[in-house]
Amino acid sequence: MSSLLTSKRAIFAIAITSFSIYLVFLLNPEGALRILINLLTFAGIYGLSAIGLNVHFGWTGLLNFGHASFMGMGAYVTLLLMPHAAGREGEVTTTGFPIIIAVFVGIAAAALFGLLLGLPAIRLRGDYLAIVTIAAAEIFRLLVRDLESITGGVYGIISYTENLQKFRPEFINSLSLNYEFAPSQAWVGIIAWVSIILTLFLLKRLNSSPWGRALRAVREDEDAVRAMGKNAVWLKLQSFMLGAGIAGLSGVLLAFNYGSLETTVFVPLLTFYVWAIMILGGVGSLTGPIFGSIIFWVIISETDRLAYIFFENANGQQLAGFRFLLVGLLIMLLMIFRPSGLLGKKEELLLDVK
Amino acid sequence: MSNNLLEVKNLKKSFGGLQAVDIKELKFKKNQLTSIIGPNGAGKTTFFDLISGFQTADSGDIFLNGDDISNSQPYQIARMGMIRTFQLTKVFDRMTVLENLMFSGSSVTNDSFTKSIINTKKQRNYEIELKDKSYEIMEDLNISHMADSYARELSGGQKKLLELARSIINNPETLLLDEPLAGVNPKLAEDLLDLIQKLASSGISILMVEHNIEAVMKISERIVVLSEGTLIADGSPNDIRNDQSVIEAYLGKDDE
Amino acid sequence: MLDQLGNGLLLGIIISVASVALSLLYGVTRIVNFAHGEIIALGAIATLFFSSPIDYRVLFLDKFSPLGLNFALSCILAVIICGLFGGLLELILFRPLRKGNVGNIAVLVVTIGLSIFIRHLYLLFATGKVQNFPLELQRRQTYLFFDMTPRNLKVLIAGILVMILIGLLLTYTKLGKAMRAVRDSEELSSVSGINSDNIILITWISSSMLAGLAGVFQAIINDVRWNMGFLILLLIFAGTVLGGIGTSFGAMVGGFIIGILVQVSVGLPFMEGHTEAKNAVALGIMIVILLFRPQGIFGQKERIS
Repeated sequence: MSSLLTSKRAIFAIAITSFSIYLVFLLNPEGALRILINLLTFAGIYGLSAIGLNVHFGWTGLLNFGHASFMGMGAYVTLLLMPHAAGREGEVTTTGFPIIIAVFVGIAAAALFGLLLGLPAIRLRGDYLAIVTIAAAEIFRLLVRDLESITGGVYGIISYTENLQKFRPEFINSLSLNYEFAPSQAWVGIIAWVSIILTLFLLKRLNSSPWGRALRAVREDEDAVRAMGKNAVWLKLQSFMLGAGIAGLSGVLLAFNYGSLETTVFVPLLTFYVWAIMILGGVGSLTGPIFGSIIFWVIISETDRLAYIFFENANGQQLAGFRFLLVGLLIMLLMIFRPSGLLGKKEELLLDVK
Repeated sequence: MSNNLLEVKNLKKSFGGLQAVDIKELKFKKNQLTSIIGPNGAGKTTFFDLISGFQTADSGDIFLNGDDISNSQPYQIARMGMIRTFQLTKVFDRMTVLENLMFSGSSVTNDSFTKSIINTKKQRNYEIELKDKSYEIMEDLNISHMADSYARELSGGQKKLLELARSIINNPETLLLDEPLAGVNPKLAEDLLDLIQKLASSGISILMVEHNIEAVMKISERIVVLSEGTLIADGSPNDIRNDQSVIEAYLGKDDE
Repeated sequence: MLDQLGNGLLLGIIISVASVALSLLYGVTRIVNFAHGEIIALGAIATLFFSSPIDYRVLFLDKFSPLGLNFALSCILAVIICGLFGGLLELILFRPLRKGNVGNIAVLVVTIGLSIFIRHLYLLFATGKVQNFPLELQRRQTYLFFDMTPRNLKVLIAGILVMILIGLLLTYTKLGKAMRAVRDSEELSSVSGINSDNIILITWISSSMLAGLAGVFQAIINDVRWNMGFLILLLIFAGTVLGGIGTSFGAMVGGFIIGILVQVSVGLPFMEGHTEAKNAVALGIMIVILLFRPQGIFGQKERIS
């Protein structure tokens, strides 16, 4: 399932990704580095999330359209366990756990949420699972919004970034002075990409392990798996938890990237972004999300200009809308003409709902 | 409780008004090769589904070695030593033949998530032994040359062999074979039949649903006949050959 | 709790009509159409465009002024436009996909992409502002045991009449029977001389017209927003699931129950100050139904898992 570095498709993927990055420099004679760092940080975070989603859909065939809620779970739990300020009054909590522990607990919480949701839902047929996951994500969002005393509700959580930034190495600070980019963001970006690398190592190991083999068998034929004495449902649940945990980590990183967190972040549109990235990169490919994410973010950030050209009188909300319009179009075109994306295998998506 | 391998009491299953299975009592002993025959629609596969957990009966009890498995899940029943094959061969298409076997032979503890991350020495040794065992079986069944081919590239007959190999790699106590000879050329059918007989004499209890009456007569120790969901005859091949009700059941169906 | 009953009935009729539309489409084509919400919104937005006065403060696409037509005429035109739109979708998108043997999962994802695309087209076309039809404000009146404005009462009655009409059409007309035949088996029906392509096209058109009507209702009762379809999409799924997927009657009943439950739940004690979460109640119910009685109230035991 991972891309062979010598294959044609991999070369094409690398080429087109490099070209996209080059395009950023081309279209932005000034401040290109700042834009690029911003772009690569988002790409890293979303790429990580897409890797998690790929475990769900690419490895296990689960139609999870509530991915944003796993990201949200990871983010909220982690932030609330560290020193932060929340709510309308900005109530400050000065006590908390060290960031490493908070992050681990956040990831675990996301995985547990995956278990909670998966236990009833995982047996459902494809399209019904899609509906249930969207509904669950919506319930999550509403709950977070209403439990204002804990989560800060619509006012959200702030003053938490220091927990991460205090570990920022000195060289980033000096580089940022010379090259004009945001050092705090660069730090988040580095961590995001390191996380991707570590996660990919983990997944590669799992893929060639007995567990990975069992999961592949489940995707091929569940009945045969059962007839061999293996619990297909439990295997799917474990995969669901794994993808959820990865998403949880990406959610934490997203929160650190934004600097403040409230309920408009983890919404269905976020899930659809991640889906677009996963499909673009190639369903079932381990490294696909990396390329998909970078190219996707180049498209998104550069086409904001296109919006200006088309709609001179548009206001801010409409410009943002143009971006989503492209995402929708991208998803459609990909699924119709190139469902395997850059590095994916075609058969994955021509499967009928099981 | 009893010495019987498998016991079925008052087993009933219907689908929207049609009674698929209605068996008052049926017992199977260990170390026997029993065939289940009957005209189309007799309920044979439904019966298999019921005793292997793939369907739940409307009412009645099923006992495996004295344990009540009426509400057990398929994977639980498989773990108790009863493995089944399927009418339409189920192999893992996008995995190699070797992987198909290694997956089947791998124990549940070996498949563990945490073990797979840590990749212990124990697991690695287990996998090496598993690979050897898989090759042994593949050689026995003459499919070792296909070890690294994807299962979907196999011919129909080879897939049947693979499914069979998969089923025996864990030395099951009982094998449920669902039409093992269906759609198979005569030469391969002969080989399969020999294989099944060998398995039977090595101590595996076998229950076989088959339409090939000649084959059934040749190797079965006991034959059970189902028609329209109920038991109409039960005995040795000779008994069945001369049983009037059996002849009628088959002829009657043909007339319709 | 009872004072929400009026609101519940109104939400109920909107969801009911929309659920029947979705169920009709799903029954015949087996597609879960995530862009359904956008067809609903089209009904409202088109009506807004047709009926708003010519010197209206909002320009569509920053260039086009509304047409200022008679309101009733605008509604009818809008519903027709929705039907045409649905037909167009079938002809240029879903039929080629069907003929190309594209799997259900891919089609589902396509409808999701489509919904995102269209929804944001609306945002650009009609702006993000909340808008209303050019209708005068009315006071609520009490009828039997619920309150609502006279206009909304008319909408409720109209909706019920439409539902009855659909039910009769499906049960007694040749067309209705053909649609049900294709729903039950595309192969068998084509053998008996029914052209399933045509039936599917007709289904798309009628489902879209119904959806458009639901949008018109929603806009009369509430308002027009670019994402109004998306906002109630989940509730529509809930109504369809509750009533029984694939049965129009079930969708009708399910939709009503969901609408009433959502509004009435606002009055429940634990909902104090959490009115936004009323949707969560309906969604929770839907999840529970899918787990324990996936065929809903009236549906047949289809393979859900």
